[in-house]
Amino acid sequence: MSDTPHELQESRILRTELLWAFGIGIFVAASLSMIVFTALTIKINPPSNVERIDPKTLHLSGEFAEQNLGTTVFGDGTVIVRAIATQFMFVPQCIAVPANRRVTLRFASPDVVHGLLITGTNVNTMVVPGFVAQVHTEFTRTGDLLMPCHEFCGQGHSEMWATVQVLPADQFKPGSDGRVSCAQR
Amino acid sequence: MQSDQSSAADSNLEIADEVDEAALATVMRTVPLGAAVLAGTVVALLVLGYLLIYTLVFIPRGVVG
Repeated sequence: MSDTPHELQESRILRTELLWAFGIGIFVAASLSMIVFTALTIKINPPSNVERIDPKTLHLSGEFAEQNLGTTVFGDGTVIVRAIATQFMFVPQCIAVPANRRVTLRFASPDVVHGLLITGTNVNTMVVPGFVAQVHTEFTRTGDLLMPCHEFCGQGHSEMWATVQVLPADQFKPGSDGRVSCAQR
Repeated sequence: MQSDQSSAADSNLEIADEVDEAALATVMRTVPLGAAVLAGTVVALLVLGYLLIYTLVFIPRGVVG
């Protein structure tokens, strides 16, 4: 017994849908492969650090006390930047970092949710009170980059921004305490 | 409604056309192809845009993690 036109129609629809699902499946698999490939080869990952900190006391002692903020170069060459995002400023207002060298950026907030990005780079994170936001990156171009708050944090949100000064290796000179400040221009 | 009043449903305009099964089958052979080509083109453009932004903007902006 031959198929009725209705049954033929149904089988064609099914075939079309399966073909479509196959095509979309290939795209999803290809994009996931690209994400895994770049994660394994050039270490591009979503920032995923989960580290708690008490927002009520972070300015009093410990890592985010005022004297520890800014850029520090440790004995093994590790560069760590610590900054506080608060209504309505970043402390410090200018961050000096070396070009073509791995840098760890660490941020904390004592008040509300903030966010930041560094223009022209893939650095982009939220700064949530109670957690340390950490991003590893490498700046490839020298110059001053804008770092605005990108999460509405109150009336002064639009005034909240800092500068990231990317210095060439010969100008990135840590002091005896390992601290580096922005060059005066 | 009174029996001497006419209803819009009685209008010839509201009566469904008779379906010619053969003509319907002919139309249905080409319409899904057009829909598939249209949807395929749109999705292909989206994928192309994603790939261009990923390779020309995201990757050159450097390592992050």
